[in-house]
Order: sequence, then C-alpha cells, then structure tokens
Amino acid sequence: MNSLQLQRSLYSATASTFEELALLCPSGDMGVEQRQLPLVGAASVTFDGPLRGELVLSVTDQVLAAAASNMLALDETPAAALRRDAVCELANVICGSLLPHVAGRRAMFRLGAPRWRAADGSPAGSMAAFGAPVSEVLMGLEDGRVEVSLFLVNTWTSVEGVLP
Amino acid sequence: MQFNVLVVDDSAVMRQMILRTLRMSGLPLGELHEAANGGQALDVLRTAWVDLMLLDINMPVMNGEEVIDHLRADPETADLKIIVVSTERSDARIERLAAKGVAFVHKPFTPESLRDVIVDITGISHEQPAASEIALLGDGLDF
Repeated sequence: MNSLQLQRSLYSATASTFEELALLCPSGDMGVEQRQLPLVGAASVTFDGPLRGELVLSVTDQVLAAAASNMLALDETPAAALRRDAVCELANVICGSLLPHVAGRRAMFRLGAPRWRAADGSPAGSMAAFGAPVSEVLMGLEDGRVEVSLFLVNTWTSVEGVLP
Repeated sequence: MQFNVLVVDDSAVMRQMILRTLRMSGLPLGELHEAANGGQALDVLRTAWVDLMLLDINMPVMNGEEVIDHLRADPETADLKIIVVSTERSDARIERLAAKGVAFVHKPFTPESLRDVIVDITGISHEQPAASEIALLGDGLDF
C-alpha cells in the first residue's frame, strides 16, 4: 500500500461512515469560506495491534451539530455532550473501517475509547507528538468541513510489512 | 411473547440509535435497558430479566468480549442471546466471537439488518409495523 492508496482508503472510510451513520454526504469542491471555517474540536481513537497509532477526526461547528441531529433523528440541536459523543462514535467507526484495509482482514486491533478535546490551538490527539500524520483527508460535508489525520508510531516501512 | 433487551455501548448516541431501531422494528419488545460498559451491563443483569443483549466490543471498564466470557461461564446467563454490534472488522476476531455463540452486526447497520439478525437469533417473528414505520424502515438508512 502506498501513500495514495492509504489516503484513498482513509477518504473512503470517512465518506462512507458519515454518509451511512450521519446522513452527511461529501460535497464536491469546497469554497474558500468553507476551507477557512474554524475547527471546533476533535475526537481521537488510539489503536494497538500489528500497528499502533491514533486516528483524529477534527470537525467544524456545522458538522458537530448536524451529525448528532441526524444520528438521533432530531430537528433541534442536541446537547453539547451528545454532539461530542456523536463525533467520537464516528471516529470510532472510521478507525474500525480503515484498519483492515491497512493491516489485512485477519489483523486484530484493540481500539481505545474515543476521546474529545476542544480546539485550543494545540495538535489534536496524543500521537501528534510523534510527528506528522502518515495520511490526512480534508472533506467538505454539507456547509462544514472535517479533517482526518492518521498517526502511526510504527514507521511507514512497517505498514508495508504487514500488508497481506 | 415480549422480550426484554439490554443495549450495551459506551456511546449514548449509539445506544439511542439502536433503541430507536428496535422501536421501529415491529418486534414484540418488553423492557428496554441500557448500559455504558460491561460492568454496568452485569449490574443490570443482576436486577432485571433480559432475553437479548446487544453488545459493543470496544468499551472501557469491561469490554464486550470480557462480558461474553463472564456470562458464558455463569450457568444463570450461559444461554443468554447476544448480538455483538461493533465496528470490528477482523475476520479472526469475528470467528472467535462466533465460536462463543454470539451473532454479529457491523456498525454502521441498517434497521433491516439488525431486525433480521434479532429474528434469526431469537426465533421471534416480528409484527407488522405501522405504515409510517414501514416508510422509515424502507428509507435505505444505515445506522
């Protein structure tokens, strides 16, 4: 798997998860305003197994509100705790969907409980300290935007080494 | 016959989605219980009769697989019907869970797929949903 294939897998896992779970479809080209919307927080999921790392899903306020409303089939915006919980669950499903594409269908991983942190200018996710993500996806959803980053503690060489 | 269900997932949103799916399913439901982790699930089982458990795998305190092992080792709960509802995609782990006598539903799931697995594992036939509920079920929505 090369970096382009990894990014495609990450994009596919993100798009299908938002579409199927939160009824939010990726928009085509994002305008300048949409690209500049502030990210209000991020959900991160650590994983451990043949590979160790973390997936971080950062969202704008538009996605934070719409995801929870759609998942709960509510007309009004749910409470803040439920909005954060919805994004955490989405990050969990994206991570679970992605890992078999990276490490093979028989590889077993242990996923940590998703954690939320509000945007405060520092890098989201505890693995960010290990360096740049191995893959990133930027996606427009409705009027908002998400950014997904995949961090690996193992080197990229080890990713190729576990491929089936 | 109505059956009591326990939904175990650390995500409150996912628990609500599963409960909503159950209510739309036309299945003869009795009491619906919730738990946010394996430890809470065992607490519920000590105080309430449950016919079916819908169980996540990746949870804090006590994960789903530990809950299954605990229940299977106890004669009182060894035969409890369990459906794992999880993001888990590893064929090896799914085979291991199947060997413990549980059914499996991937997240995200459709209302129909969850209902069909419930019918299959419990042997309970579902009632005809109301017209409005059929429209919702047939909407092609995935949860």
